[in-house]
Amino acid sequence: MHLVLIGLSHHTAPLELRERLAFSRTRLRAALATLVSRTEAGDAVLLSTCNRSEVYATCAEPDRAATALAEVLCNTQGVPLMTVGPYLYTRTDADAAQHLFRVAAGLDSLVVGEPEILGQVKEAYRVASEAQGTGAVLNRLFHGAFGVGKRVRSETALAEGAVSVSYAAIRLAKKIFGDLSHLRVLVIGSGEMARLAALHFQSQQVARLSVTTRSEDRAEALAAEVGGVAVPWSTREIALADSDVVVSATGGGELVLTRNVVATATAARRGHPLFLLDMAVPRDVDASSGDLAQVFLYNLDDLRSIVQENLARRTGEIEAAEAIVQDEVEAFMAWMRSRHVVPTVVALRQRFEQIRRSELDRLSSRLSGLPPDARARVNEVTRLIVEKLLLTPTAQLKSIDDRETMRAYSAALRRLFDLEDEDMSEADTTRRARTET
Amino acid sequence: MIALALYAVATAAYIWRFVRRDQPGRHVPTLLLVAAVLVHTFVIGMQSVQVGAAPFAGRSGAVSTFVWMLALVYLYTEISTEELAIGVFIAPLLTALQIIPAFTAAAEEHPALLDNPLFAVHVASVLLAYASFALAFVVALTYVLLFRELKRRTPGVFFSRLPSLQVLDAMNMRAVTVGWACLTLGLIVGTWWVTQARLYAADDPHVRAMSLLDPTILVACLSWMVYTLLLVGRRTRGWGGRRAAWLSALGFGLVLLNFLLVGYFFSRSHGFV
Repeated sequence: MHLVLIGLSHHTAPLELRERLAFSRTRLRAALATLVSRTEAGDAVLLSTCNRSEVYATCAEPDRAATALAEVLCNTQGVPLMTVGPYLYTRTDADAAQHLFRVAAGLDSLVVGEPEILGQVKEAYRVASEAQGTGAVLNRLFHGAFGVGKRVRSETALAEGAVSVSYAAIRLAKKIFGDLSHLRVLVIGSGEMARLAALHFQSQQVARLSVTTRSEDRAEALAAEVGGVAVPWSTREIALADSDVVVSATGGGELVLTRNVVATATAARRGHPLFLLDMAVPRDVDASSGDLAQVFLYNLDDLRSIVQENLARRTGEIEAAEAIVQDEVEAFMAWMRSRHVVPTVVALRQRFEQIRRSELDRLSSRLSGLPPDARARVNEVTRLIVEKLLLTPTAQLKSIDDRETMRAYSAALRRLFDLEDEDMSEADTTRRARTET
Repeated sequence: MIALALYAVATAAYIWRFVRRDQPGRHVPTLLLVAAVLVHTFVIGMQSVQVGAAPFAGRSGAVSTFVWMLALVYLYTEISTEELAIGVFIAPLLTALQIIPAFTAAAEEHPALLDNPLFAVHVASVLLAYASFALAFVVALTYVLLFRELKRRTPGVFFSRLPSLQVLDAMNMRAVTVGWACLTLGLIVGTWWVTQARLYAADDPHVRAMSLLDPTILVACLSWMVYTLLLVGRRTRGWGGRRAAWLSALGFGLVLLNFLLVGYFFSRSHGFV
């Protein structure tokens, strides 16, 4: 059995094409069913995000399966294969595992180390498991990917630090105030920057979000869009004293918050910190306001420099994260290789067990004179002898790295012990794999 | 000595965790500190059996009990808040202070004058208060370090490791409140004990020296006033954050001065052994 991956991502395909091959949550299940029924894939997981659409599947012949999967994938979305073909990549076995592990670690993301991708991988796996079931190989592969994601996040600094201006602002607010659910946020301005900041803070479920601009209509429109309340421009100084975080992004060219206004507001706040985010160019907030006690003033350049530092730090962690990926790929491939000997090991065990039972049956008349506990003891001793005899050969067989050597050993064992045909056993294993978790 | 060695190993582990931030083995420093506290408990227990009373009276015993209480107060805080970063500041303090009892002979006698439950309550309350103030001081220190990084717009080591300013401020105030309550109890019970001691040991020079003019008592009352000012200021004027942190530091400076220097070199009232 082989592992195959086909897909495209932000590395290979433009946004327009990625959009056309993206699957909504509702269409994901139907697409999975089609992929499995119309190709030779035993089972499949479809990972679809704004940056990638990838199918991970198990199959007997990777080349043929990859072509079929690509065709079905394109047909499902109504995109000609000719158009998508040049942007598609195919990976098999170790390369496919390595790709998924890198994706889960955030190493293949547009912003290296971004945390959302691990959740998206988990969701894709969950949907596939619920829709049509996943076999032992995909189960092991995806749990391995979750493990890689977790290890990389805990053992390296790859996912640490904010790498977008908005996220940096949220991280700073959390470091000052801790829990954001009690925060009162005031947004000054109604442009794109103000809107994005308002949306980001609202997504953190802050206690209150107020919006104020010189134009009341625009303030009300933005407040309605982000689920906040509009505050009249004339009362902005009162609103300032009553807010914990203030995002100012008017860029009107004149100071919106002078040092005196900020000083008056902080005096009324009885020592509670005030976090001022000046997202405007030219600046809205008097820079000397940052000297006031309990005032934390950050402008756009400050936030950008934090983001740049974090990105540089993440880059330095890539090597350590790649090493973790490599470790886990090797562990996964060792497991994959050991699967090839499973039918032989099972058959060998069955043969030994058969011999044990037939010998016990042959001696049953002599054993019948023994008390029940002695008979049970004989049964247990013979079982243990068989276990011990098989322990070393099984471990040795599973530890073989080279597939050819593994086949040769399997063939030798089958010949020596007159075991059943390998192809039949493999078919049994595949059937079992679909139900195995 | 074994307790000191374990505190030192726990300190190294806390530093390692602070620097590396590895998830596997993140509880090793905590477990080492728990082991140190257990050994320390055994040592204090043995000394108590030997002397026939809690070993508070001498300098060695008092410092040892203080270290033990600080470790307990810190462990309670770490386990209840899941904040692991403060330990890197507490553990070195524990190790440094434990050097004193480790290299000083413990008191082998217990003056009859001190055989009074009020004395035990007085010393235990004051030592617990000092331990809480020590924790408040360390938390205040971390607050100031993080505050500086945020104020200078250069988030770095402390930004990525310490909890938020809000959490640190709350931890500081909780430790100060507990410490203040214990110190108040300790001072009240101490005064009560002195009034009793004046009845049955009026000629004892220590008892005669018990007054506000004695440096130990004076500095203890000054510390109490600093912490009272901090708590009243917080309640009435919203003092918190950096101001609370600096006042905590001042209060603990007085406590340390009293505990390690004044009490043993200048006091006429508190040197019983």
